[in-house]
Amino acid sequence: MNEPQRTVADEPPPFLGTWGRVYTVVVIYLACVIGLFYWFTKSFSP
Amino acid sequence: MRALDWVVMFAWLVFLVSYGLWRGRGSSSTQEFMLAGKTMPWYAMGLSIIATQASAITFISTTAQAYVDGMRFVQFYFGLPLAMVILSATAVPIFHRAKVFTAYEYLEHRFDAKTRLLVTVIFLISRGLGAGLALSAPAIVLSVVLGWPFRVTILIMGGLVVLYTTLGGIKAVTWADVQQMAVIMVALVIALAVAISMLPPDVSFRDALKLAGAAGKLNAVTTAFDWNDRYNIWSGLIGGMFLALAYFGTDQSQVQRYLTGKSIGQSRLGLLLTAVAKVPMQFFILFIGAMVFVVFLFVRPPLVFQPVEMERVQTSPQYAAIESRYEQAFDQRQAAARRIVASQSGALQDFRTAQTNLDAARADALNLSGANDTNYIFLSFVTHYLPVGIVGLVVAVIFTAAMSAISGEINSLATVTVIDIYKRHLVKEGPDSHYLWASRGATVFWGIYAMAFASSATGFGALIQAVNEVGSWFYGGMLGVFVLAFFVKRCTATGAFVGVLSGEAAIFTTARFTDAFLWYNVVGCVVVVAVGWSISALQPRNK
Repeated sequence: MNEPQRTVADEPPPFLGTWGRVYTVVVIYLACVIGLFYWFTKSFSP
Repeated sequence: MRALDWVVMFAWLVFLVSYGLWRGRGSSSTQEFMLAGKTMPWYAMGLSIIATQASAITFISTTAQAYVDGMRFVQFYFGLPLAMVILSATAVPIFHRAKVFTAYEYLEHRFDAKTRLLVTVIFLISRGLGAGLALSAPAIVLSVVLGWPFRVTILIMGGLVVLYTTLGGIKAVTWADVQQMAVIMVALVIALAVAISMLPPDVSFRDALKLAGAAGKLNAVTTAFDWNDRYNIWSGLIGGMFLALAYFGTDQSQVQRYLTGKSIGQSRLGLLLTAVAKVPMQFFILFIGAMVFVVFLFVRPPLVFQPVEMERVQTSPQYAAIESRYEQAFDQRQAAARRIVASQSGALQDFRTAQTNLDAARADALNLSGANDTNYIFLSFVTHYLPVGIVGLVVAVIFTAAMSAISGEINSLATVTVIDIYKRHLVKEGPDSHYLWASRGATVFWGIYAMAFASSATGFGALIQAVNEVGSWFYGGMLGVFVLAFFVKRCTATGAFVGVLSGEAAIFTTARFTDAFLWYNVVGCVVVVAVGWSISALQPRNK
């Protein structure tokens, strides 16, 4: 049975330089989305 | 459905299955069949993961959740992006470097064969139940809408899935999902556009938002903490994160997707695409449900959305009285809605009173039939109000979305059966071609099993809830053992094994006291880690 081929070593992301920065952007994005949804909820609450 | 709808539906079915088979051609080794030769680009992995989750249940049940309970279900997904970040940083490089076919294979590298076997069995039980549910739940609804016998619907859906999954493996599954996602988005946008276009001329889009908000349907974020409340920001962020960590980090149906990546980076990007896209997508789908609710403030919806049950209710002697109450409540609610738009005082209270009366009439009608029609709300809207041709497209997308979810599940079940059971315990040394055929055989077996399970299943309430709840019985325990494997270096094999058993016991005990299932994942994981760590501390380290 074939073993899975060896994958290339960990490479940097195509943007922002490091994976840590990419993760930070995703977390900030989530915070913004939740903030937007909260505003949406409050704006249309009776 | 009219003739054009049937043509569109069958054309889409034929295209999708053919496309999957074409992209899955050349799966002539186990690595091709199970891991697509590790050639998948990040966008295909990401879209495939989203498509698998955006199953038929998403269309049928998520829109209905918003219609009935408002948009707060979106909070369920708040923890998902956090989980994706954690998994990208931990599980993805670990699994890639371990060069495994399955997540459970890694557990033997780290602990021992019995821990691997235990978690494998838990996966096969939970995912086996999930596969049956994923097939039966939409088949029940689609059989009513299409007018097909239930078992024929299951046979067609299951048969097509088995065909392209058996021949094309994970490559066919993944590339079919990519096409599926594109059409899903088109169908959703059309459904929303039609809903908005159906608003009366004197009700603007902003008025529609005002009405949905007044009815409590735009409650996307609820901050009050309640242990028994299934969906609030806290259960979503914490419980949802644990569920997503478990689902994407330990469930082979998802792990296998990102193991197909060309590299660690490609797999990470695939997960992060899901992290960014999933929450807005769910919000959008729920928003459609809220807008359908507003449309039905002005267009009288059926007393019972399930057409067969509606016919049964109409034969009841109480029907006339209930229908009369329903019509009266609908007229009162519509009048109150127009007064809300005009910002008249007291309108909101009148609206709520009318809504309560309308809900009571519907409840009485549903009691007569004994059925739950939640899962027919969106399909009722689609089949009655979408343009001809588009109805066929939406029904086809729902049909194939169900197939997409099932294909991923039986593919992963087959992979685990062959790698973690058959090759590990039964036929340890054999040529690759032997295991390839064993994989195809296992795919057929799990396909038949899912069809048999689905055929014997009966109705469910909110489908999406049932699927997630079944997962939550097992995911906490599975997540706990991987946390031990990745982060607790001193953990022994016995510690991990007893920890998993303790975690499952804790989950089933918790389930007796609360049905807020998102917390089961937290409880299960914490107990596994605590017990595993404690036992390991009392033992010499595992070699």
